[in-house]
Amino acid sequence: MNPALLAPLGLAALAALALPLLIHLVRRLQLVDTEFAALRWISPRAQPRRRLRFERPWLLLIRLALLALLALLLARLVSLAPTADTNADWIVVAPGADLGAAHTRVGAGGEWHWLAPGFPRIDANAAPSPAPAASLLRELDARMPAGSALRVVVPETLGGLDGERAHLSHALDWIVVPGRSPSVPDAAREPVVLHVRYADDEANALAYLRAAVAAWNVREPNRYSLDAQPVPATAPDDARWLVWLAPDFPSSLTSWVERGGIALVTHRAEKDAAPLWQASDGSVIASEQSLGAGRVIALPNALAPSDLPLLLDAAFPNQLLAAFRGERPAPDRAFAAAAEPDRVAANVATTPALAGNNAVALDAWLAIAIAVLFALERIVATMRPREAEA
Amino acid sequence: MPNALIPPDVRARLRELRIVSRRSAGGDGLGQHASRSRGAGLEFAQYRAYEPGDEPRRIDWKLYARSDRYFVREAERDSPLDLWLLLDATASMRQADLARPDLAKFDAARSLAACVIDIALRQGDRFGIVAIAGSTPLAIPLGSGARHRDRCLLELARVQPAGAWPQGSAWQAAGARIASHALVLMLSDFFDKSAFEFVRRLAGAGREVLTLQMLAADERDFPFAGGRRFIDPESNAQRRVEASAVRADFLARFAAARAALANDCAALGIRHAEYVLDEALDAPLRRLFSALGARA
Repeated sequence: MNPALLAPLGLAALAALALPLLIHLVRRLQLVDTEFAALRWISPRAQPRRRLRFERPWLLLIRLALLALLALLLARLVSLAPTADTNADWIVVAPGADLGAAHTRVGAGGEWHWLAPGFPRIDANAAPSPAPAASLLRELDARMPAGSALRVVVPETLGGLDGERAHLSHALDWIVVPGRSPSVPDAAREPVVLHVRYADDEANALAYLRAAVAAWNVREPNRYSLDAQPVPATAPDDARWLVWLAPDFPSSLTSWVERGGIALVTHRAEKDAAPLWQASDGSVIASEQSLGAGRVIALPNALAPSDLPLLLDAAFPNQLLAAFRGERPAPDRAFAAAAEPDRVAANVATTPALAGNNAVALDAWLAIAIAVLFALERIVATMRPREAEA
Repeated sequence: MPNALIPPDVRARLRELRIVSRRSAGGDGLGQHASRSRGAGLEFAQYRAYEPGDEPRRIDWKLYARSDRYFVREAERDSPLDLWLLLDATASMRQADLARPDLAKFDAARSLAACVIDIALRQGDRFGIVAIAGSTPLAIPLGSGARHRDRCLLELARVQPAGAWPQGSAWQAAGARIASHALVLMLSDFFDKSAFEFVRRLAGAGREVLTLQMLAADERDFPFAGGRRFIDPESNAQRRVEASAVRADFLARFAAARAALANDCAALGIRHAEYVLDEALDAPLRRLFSALGARA
C-alpha cells in the first residue's frame, strides 16, 4: 500500500507541533546541591549554564503524535491499492482491432486487455464500447512500471483521439492491424420530421421553411420532411425538431424540450441566452439556450423577411440546419500509423496512479488512532508526576 | 569499640609504628622515650660516688674491682611521652566523598586518633584528647592505660562535627594546658586560617607539633559535573557554578593552598602530612612518624 495525501496543504497543521514543544520546554537552571567545605577555592566566575530540557517527555511525545495524526487527517491521508495488475506482460488492444491478426502479429503469450476504462481482460469481456483511446493510453503509460514497454494493438483507423498527439514516457510497440474503431452510433441517418406549429397570421413563414427542408433534401434525399399544423396542436412525444410560430409557448412543450427536444420559437426574447445569429451591425437576431436535455432557439420577432432578412439569404437553410443539429463533435479518428504516440525523452517520474477508485480512505482508522491517543494523553496528563509522589 | 574504629589489617601494620618525639621526653615515670632525667636505663650517663641509700645492685662491681671504691653507674632514664590529640570537629569535617557518603573526614579522624592511641598505649605513653568545636565539648586530660583509652574513644564517638572554628581567647587557654614538652598531633582540614594560626602559636610556644591535613578524595579529584550549587557547611556560603568549567582552576588553586600549608609547616618545624579519605589509615601515620622512628 502506498500512502498518499489528497490535500497536502493540510500538513501545514504540523506547525501546531510547536505548541506542545513550547509548553513542555523548561528552561530551568538545574543545580545539584553539594556540601563542599573547600568552597573558597572554587572560582565564582563560571556561572552555571542553563540547559534546555523537556518536561515529561512521554506526555510530550503523545501530544506530538496526536497533533501529527490530526494533521494527517486534515491532509486526507489515503492508501493507494498497489497497481500490481499492471505489468510488462500486458498487450493492450484497442476495440475494433482484428484480434486474429493481432494474435498472428504478437503471438499468443502475455495478458490481453482492452484499451477501455479499467482495462478489462479480453477473454472475459466482449468488445467494449468506444472510449477515448488517447486518454486511456496516457493513463496506461502512467500505470505501467518504469522501464517496461507498452505493447498496443490498434486498428488501422483509430478512434477516440484528441487534438494532441499522445506523449508517452515508456517505450512503445505500436502494432497496427486491420480494422476500424467502432464509432458512436450515427443518428444522422434517421429520417427527421420538422414539426411546424403556426398561428394563422404567421402562416406565411411556412413557405420559407418548406424551401429550407427542400434544400436539405437536395444533399440528403428524402431524409427531411415537414409536418405543419395550426397552433392548438402540440408536438408528438417522439418529435425531435419543432418550429413554433405563435406568440405563446405552452408549458407542456417546455417540458418536452427539457426531455431532449429542440424548438425554434418566435416572439421570444431570451435575455441570458447565447447569441446564435447576429446581424451585420452586431445585434442578436437569434439566440440559443439549453433547457434540460434540449435547446430552445429563440427569435425575438416573427419569422418574416421584414424582421429577419436572413430568411431571404441563400445560406438560410444551412444555417437553420446547423442550428437544429447543434455543434458537431470534433473529429477524433485518424489512421493509426499517423497517430502513433511520441516517446518523450524527458525523464518523467511516473507516480502511482492517483485513480480515485483504488485509493482507500484511512480517515476512520486515523480517527480511531486519534481517539486512542487522546484517551492516552488524558491518562498520562492527569497522572501525578513521579516527583510529586516522592 | 577500638575494633570498630581500626580495621584488622591496619591494626596489624600499626605494630611496626612507633611514636617518637624529636626531643627528650620530660615526663615522669618509666617510658620508652629518651629523657634528660637519669635513672635506670640502657644509655650510660655517668658514674658517681656511692652514697648511703643507693641500692647495692646499682654499684658497678667491676669498677670496684679495679679501683677499690664504690661507684654507682647511672644511665639516662627512658620516660613516657605526653601526647595530645587535637581533633578539628568543625562542620567542614563533615565532608565526605560522593563515592562513600557515609565516611566523613571526622570519621577518618576518629579512626586515626584510635590508631595513634593504640600505638601510644603500646608504648606506655600518656595521651589526652581535645575536640575543637563539635556537637559536644570534649577535653580529656592526659592519662594512660587501656581504661583511659576506652574512655577517650567512647567520648570521641559521641562527638559529631558541627559549628565553626571558635573565635576569641578560649583556645589560648586550652593551649596553655598543654605542657611545653608534650607532643601535639592536630587532625584538621586546615581550611580555616584560625586552625593553622592555633597550630602556629603552639609551635611557637615550644611544643612539638605534628599536623595531619584531612582531605576528601573529591577535593583532590573534583569529580563533579554539570550545574552545582556548592554550600559551605560552616558559613552556609553558596557558590553556583558550572562544575566542569571550574575544575582545572579549583584543582590548581587547591593544590597551591595545600603546598602553601606544607611550606608554612616546614618553616615552623612542624611535621606535616596529608591524609586523603580513600587511603589506608596507617599510611599518613607512617609518613608522619617514619623520620622520627629512625632514632628509636
